[in-house]
Amino acid sequence: MEDNRELLENLRALAADGPQGAPDSVERQLRAEFRKRSRRRRVGVWASFSGVAAMAAGIALLVWVREAPKPAAGVLAAQHDTGGSVAVEEEEADASFYPLPQAEALPAVENAMVVRVQLPVSSLRLMGFPVDEERADAAVQAELLLGQDGLARGVRLVQ
Amino acid sequence: MLSRLSIISAAGLLAASLFAQGPGRHLSGGPQGDGDFALVRAEFGISNKVVQGAPYSAQAVTEFTQTLANGDHIQRTTTASIARDSQGRTRMDRSIATVGALSAAAGRSTRAIVIHDPVAGLSYALDPARHTGRSMLIPQSRRAGSEEAHNRHGASADRAGAKTEDLGTQVIQGMSAQGKRVTRAIPAGEEGNEKEIDIVTETWYSPDLQMVVQSKTSDPRFGDTVYQVSGLNRVEPDPALFTVPAGYSITESRTMHRPPAAQ
Repeated sequence: MEDNRELLENLRALAADGPQGAPDSVERQLRAEFRKRSRRRRVGVWASFSGVAAMAAGIALLVWVREAPKPAAGVLAAQHDTGGSVAVEEEEADASFYPLPQAEALPAVENAMVVRVQLPVSSLRLMGFPVDEERADAAVQAELLLGQDGLARGVRLVQ
Repeated sequence: MLSRLSIISAAGLLAASLFAQGPGRHLSGGPQGDGDFALVRAEFGISNKVVQGAPYSAQAVTEFTQTLANGDHIQRTTTASIARDSQGRTRMDRSIATVGALSAAAGRSTRAIVIHDPVAGLSYALDPARHTGRSMLIPQSRRAGSEEAHNRHGASADRAGAKTEDLGTQVIQGMSAQGKRVTRAIPAGEEGNEKEIDIVTETWYSPDLQMVVQSKTSDPRFGDTVYQVSGLNRVEPDPALFTVPAGYSITESRTMHRPPAAQ
């Protein structure tokens, strides 16, 4: 039970570090583990707790990405209309940005940048979101998609 | 699942707050120093098109103005240096001290540079204060020139129910620009509003430069935003602008736009 809790905490920490995919090191480790398994068919590979944790983290993150809800039709969807497999990948990655209300009226994005910013958790409370008093002074990271005019078109929480 | 729903809900609430709350407030905790947010890092750049053979350099100024209920006016201005070379490489050096109604924490990095280099197939997001940056591969589909650029112009505003008017052609900053006005109405009662709310966006697009050179958005809920490109120079920019300056520590990012070969 305690191990499960620790594993869950580790997974959450990994997910918080990057919601779009597992870190390269985890991916490399996963690929290596798969190759070993298919070639040698050894069970011993899975004995390492770190390997299992990495695998679980990868699966959890993949599930997260694949199950991520599509954004409301709007600015972001309109920008990424290229065809082919790459477009699908972009759609998946971009899907977690939530269009901002004001962005509906802004000109289409020609050149954009994504910046990661830090906001106080207390700001969530001001928006009506329940915040644990003990964590009110903590910070939350969010990514903003800024257009060529510097105005935010979309946002997503990182933590 | 519950945790994910919470994050999604929080993101939605955060999205609304980025514009819905009045400027000038100060939140406790979080970013160091006064302000609503602190830049953690520039993540990456995105460009929807590659325009070749139309070089320029210019300044881009965005003015955000809001009138408060007590009659007070809030005005915030952000500036950017923008450039593009004949090969279609672009650079945007932008202050992000303010994002809409939010202001950055004092004493923290408030500039970000984005270089989009379709020739090399790379995009860079640089933090000049820390001399760090992130690089990202541009997918092959985005490296070729796009003929759809003009069609996408104002696409976000051309929504169902919106009224579009042709404003004709004007010379703006020495460039011929085509204008249009898009008015989107929020019917009375839809957002608890007593009267209909009209959101008006005017956009002036230069077919020669293939970019928006001026836009104005008037939204009674959030205020007015004016974007203006000025000081246009059609001379080929310094090639050094489109390369990462010496001394930067660059991290490869696979956050977005992973190429198929990397899968």
